[in-house]
Amino acid sequence: MTTLSTSTASDALRIKLDLVTPALRAATTSLWREEPSEPSRRRYVAYLYEMHALIRASVPLMERAAERCAELTSHDPVAGPLVRYLERHIEQERGHDAWLLDDISVAGGDPARLADRLPSPVVAELAGAQYYWIEHEHPVALLGFIRVLEGNAPAPWLANRLAERTGLPDAAFRTVREHAELDSGHLTELDAAIDALPLTPVHETVLAVSALHTVDRIIRLFSQLANIPGGPE
Amino acid sequence: MTDDHAALDRLRSAGFNVDALGDEQISVLTGLSEHELELLEDIKRRLDDAEPEVRAHGDIAGGALF
Repeated sequence: MTTLSTSTASDALRIKLDLVTPALRAATTSLWREEPSEPSRRRYVAYLYEMHALIRASVPLMERAAERCAELTSHDPVAGPLVRYLERHIEQERGHDAWLLDDISVAGGDPARLADRLPSPVVAELAGAQYYWIEHEHPVALLGFIRVLEGNAPAPWLANRLAERTGLPDAAFRTVREHAELDSGHLTELDAAIDALPLTPVHETVLAVSALHTVDRIIRLFSQLANIPGGPE
Repeated sequence: MTDDHAALDRLRSAGFNVDALGDEQISVLTGLSEHELELLEDIKRRLDDAEPEVRAHGDIAGGALF
């Protein structure tokens, strides 16, 4: 079925995502719930481990999507402008997985454990689906994944609230704190990039399926994390 | 009933408040694909399964992604 509206592509995607924002917010609320008997330190460290597992895939995913665009450019009018956006965003996101390692270390986790620690299979579902769509559908799918991540940045007060609840030093919250400031600009840039692409209705559906799948799996991931007790391991 | 109404009916049956949506939203959502509808229904079920307190305070939680 094709999209019948005259909305821009970014508006159409936002309208679809608005339907699921309450579910994503509820999952986040559950993740950060207060437990009077114990600080939520252990759950925060587990969150950092899983977010590192996900974010370390972001730049490689964008690099692979850019390579696929280069393969398509001669006959695909979306590929050229898409690769230019991806090249800019790769540089904006490069190194952010290292911030998470620093946060893990300050929060009492052990980055050396990463080699022995298998992330949640949900993380593999999140990144793995993007690899499939990049390889076998169209690399524009990755913008749906990026739209969900950039569109759900931490609130400006989250880092301070988590510091209060966990008793951890401010330095353990660099990733949360800095993305609260960075990602609103990134979202504006992404929406402009989406609207500049000559997308077909099929591309728009790929974008939306990718975005909604990302929301669905993030909710699953946060639900798993929410079941972890807050106290020391 | 026409195909144009089928997507909206699916959303309404899933518990989305379709009748509160504006013209632009209706226009976009009328064209939802089967895969989009399945994902929306799945996510709505997850919200419905959440505890009432979590649903009530979800609007002030912000995000946690980057």
